[in-house]
Amino acid sequence: MSGAAAPLQWLTMGLLAVGLLGLSPALSLSLLAFGLAVLTALKLREARSLEERRVVALLQLVCAGLLAALRPELAPSLLQGLAILMALAGLLALELGAGPDWKALLRRSLQVLLAAMPIALVLFLLLPRLMPFTNFGAGQGMGAMTGLSDSMEPGSIARLAVSRQAAARVAFPLGGEPPPLEQRYWRVMVHERFDGRSWRSAAPSFARPAAGQPAPPPPPAAPGEGIQLWLIEPSGLAAVPWSGSGRPLSADLNLQRSGELLNRAPGSQRRVYALTEKSDQSGWRTAPPGPIDLLLPLGENPRLEALAAGWRRLGSNRERLDAATGWFRGQPFRYTLEPGALPRQAPLDHFLFESRLGFCGHYASAFTTLMRAAGVPARVVSGYRGGQWVQPVGGTGYVDLRQADAHAWSEVWLDGEGWRRVDPTAWAAGDPLARSGAAGAGSRAGGGPLDWIQQQWWGLDIAWARWWLGYDGEQQQALVARLLGDRSHLLGVVVLLAVAVSLAAGLGGLGWLGRRRRGDPLRLELERTLRAFARQGMAPAAGETLPVFAQRLQQRWPALSGPLEAFVAHYQQQRFAGVPGPIGRRQARRLGRALRRSLRAGNRSQNAVQREHP
Amino acid sequence: MDFGRPQQGERVRLRMRNLYILPTRFGWLWLSGTVLLQVIGVQMQSNGTLLLSFLMLSLFLLTLHLTHFNLQGVELGCGTPAPGFAGAPVPYPIRLRCPGRSEGVRLRLGGEASGPPLSLAAGEHELAVAWTPLARGWQRPGLLRIQTTAPLGLFCCWSRWHPETAQLIYPARRAGPVRLLAAGSAPLVGEPALASRQDGSDDWRDLAPHRPQDSPSRLAWKLLAQGRGEYAKRFLDRPEAAPLLAPEPGLPLETALEHLSERIWSWHGRGLSYGLELNGQTVAPGRGVLHRDRCLTALACCR
Repeated sequence: MSGAAAPLQWLTMGLLAVGLLGLSPALSLSLLAFGLAVLTALKLREARSLEERRVVALLQLVCAGLLAALRPELAPSLLQGLAILMALAGLLALELGAGPDWKALLRRSLQVLLAAMPIALVLFLLLPRLMPFTNFGAGQGMGAMTGLSDSMEPGSIARLAVSRQAAARVAFPLGGEPPPLEQRYWRVMVHERFDGRSWRSAAPSFARPAAGQPAPPPPPAAPGEGIQLWLIEPSGLAAVPWSGSGRPLSADLNLQRSGELLNRAPGSQRRVYALTEKSDQSGWRTAPPGPIDLLLPLGENPRLEALAAGWRRLGSNRERLDAATGWFRGQPFRYTLEPGALPRQAPLDHFLFESRLGFCGHYASAFTTLMRAAGVPARVVSGYRGGQWVQPVGGTGYVDLRQADAHAWSEVWLDGEGWRRVDPTAWAAGDPLARSGAAGAGSRAGGGPLDWIQQQWWGLDIAWARWWLGYDGEQQQALVARLLGDRSHLLGVVVLLAVAVSLAAGLGGLGWLGRRRRGDPLRLELERTLRAFARQGMAPAAGETLPVFAQRLQQRWPALSGPLEAFVAHYQQQRFAGVPGPIGRRQARRLGRALRRSLRAGNRSQNAVQREHP
Repeated sequence: MDFGRPQQGERVRLRMRNLYILPTRFGWLWLSGTVLLQVIGVQMQSNGTLLLSFLMLSLFLLTLHLTHFNLQGVELGCGTPAPGFAGAPVPYPIRLRCPGRSEGVRLRLGGEASGPPLSLAAGEHELAVAWTPLARGWQRPGLLRIQTTAPLGLFCCWSRWHPETAQLIYPARRAGPVRLLAAGSAPLVGEPALASRQDGSDDWRDLAPHRPQDSPSRLAWKLLAQGRGEYAKRFLDRPEAAPLLAPEPGLPLETALEHLSERIWSWHGRGLSYGLELNGQTVAPGRGVLHRDRCLTALACCR
């Protein structure tokens, strides 16, 4: 057992502990991971024999696998990869005896991993995926973390904190374009239920697992269709943001009648999903309103109801909407994040006719109530608005949404058109989106280098999510279909062949890596140089020493005397030096290269001279 | 892992036909860990876990070959074994010729515990493997087991071989009574170096010019103090009668031989002269390593 084994295994434990830090303790699987890590550490502490230490290494690998299931993002994945590398190095240290040091062990571990990777990739890419055995763990235990919640009560908020925390990122990998800034509304939740004070969503807070057979996977995106790839931070909600148009590309996503997109993917704390960019089948827009969309507790806000009663006499919903729009535009509303709390009696009356100060929640709430009072089916939608367009170096551009971009707006039902988005906040003076739009889309980009690094990292993260996390059963089937066409019954044979080929390649690669380092580098350099001279017909005679041979070479090529002398002197000095170091070897390589180059150059000029004077 | 047909012969080349390989207990555990990760990966639909599980499976496939390559093509042979005593660990020389690098090689002779794992570079190696002979005479060391679990401990690859070269084993050394016979020959003059080191203060004989390698205690200080130059004193041992050792009558032959073996060893260590009489054959009294080995060989081969 090498002395490096114990430190390596403890280092692996440390890496795993760092990986455990970000886990939410509410998820039962993360409790399992915690428990396993603690048990592994205890086992490592008391392990004495070789057999026990091997078991520790295996437990560490299983631990890393559990972590990989819980934290599939880029940074934790890198950490897990490092932990796996270290665990393997620890295992190697157990077997290889006392000899090798850390560096050699890590190099060896990396070699073995690289050799094993082709087989693993073949199996990973080609083997058909299995569906989860049960829906255990779906959507459980995610604490509320975002600025959105299923209940919205703007009147009770005196001061809205602006959080710069990341909320989501959306990329358009297949060359798509983000909508213009004023059209970037990303809907998450629909609040239809109004009790005079707060707006609630009628949908369940997380999706129920589908009963019976899982839904068949939706067809993949057509070539010209374009894709939106979403990466969202953990939230307590099953509803996920989307643009309102497009078709979900995963069976886990479920589009509700109200236009909410519910995700019932199990487990993972951060979710990745894809939608087609444009689709004509956004049926939620034309789903007719129900009685709940007109529900209004009467008598709460008498002045509001009186105002709306005037519009009720207008013929159509469209005219009522125009009237309300005109009225809103005529009033001196002002956007602020610190409006102060509204009174408990007639809060919307106070907002509409007295303070006229508020943020998006106030405007959406008041406008929707006005429309309902005027007899127009209306509802409040919350989600995100805007977002900064980031173009990382050499990557796919993405829209970066922060919690501060959380927004609420209204939707009203217009006969013959369906649900139309109305954003009353845009009519208020000092609307942040209008301001940032005026200042240009990049107004938030003025951060320091740290922001820049973060943006690049997120660009990598998007690529990771697209290529790695996005590889699921459907992608796998698409790949197999592309490779084999209609001969998919040959898949078994193909997998076996590919495994055999990559096994041979791995073994060959390991052998090559092992041979490459064989032999004395100084000697190898000398032999390389001697071969170059041998090609010119000069080989050392039997028993001839290097300096004597060098003299012979100088007589033939007088121009070479400089580099030749330097090389021979350095070779002799290194050969008989006490401890030949890496610097000396590098120097030898440099001198040898210079010598061969001048030999070639000398020959070329000689040939040229001969051609000129035949 | 220890079964399979042992190989015979002076030299053995390990190849497919005489190498055995099976997963170790840890290897089976590794496979069950792979299955566990596969289940977690499928259940959580996690690519990382699935890839790790496939990676562990492919490491399993890969180490099957790597472990086998450690011993594949290795040639085993014997060196010339030096004599040793029964009842104590005796080194037995094994020659290995490795075609490539062999890692984690453990050698084990007879029922001994196996040594530490060795990493052998390509080329010839001579390794001393300890074994404990129980009887005297020309002995073969029994079964040689060569095995390796490197690099990951998932597989154990092994082979078994009966080395043919016998090793001369002297009787075990055990203190006990020995019969002393009067010497049949005249006392002899010992090797000077040994004698003067043993009991050099016996008899002062003469002076010789001091050489730098002489001990300061030999320096004739009185002469030096008198300014007569540096001289070293030369001493001579008192000549003594060298006895003949013989087995103690009344004891079983093996026990008596063990006593003789111990006596010869200790007298040799003290630099005494001795002879040996055994079964009517006599080794004339003498001193020195060759003499000792001649006597011990006579003990080992006594019938």
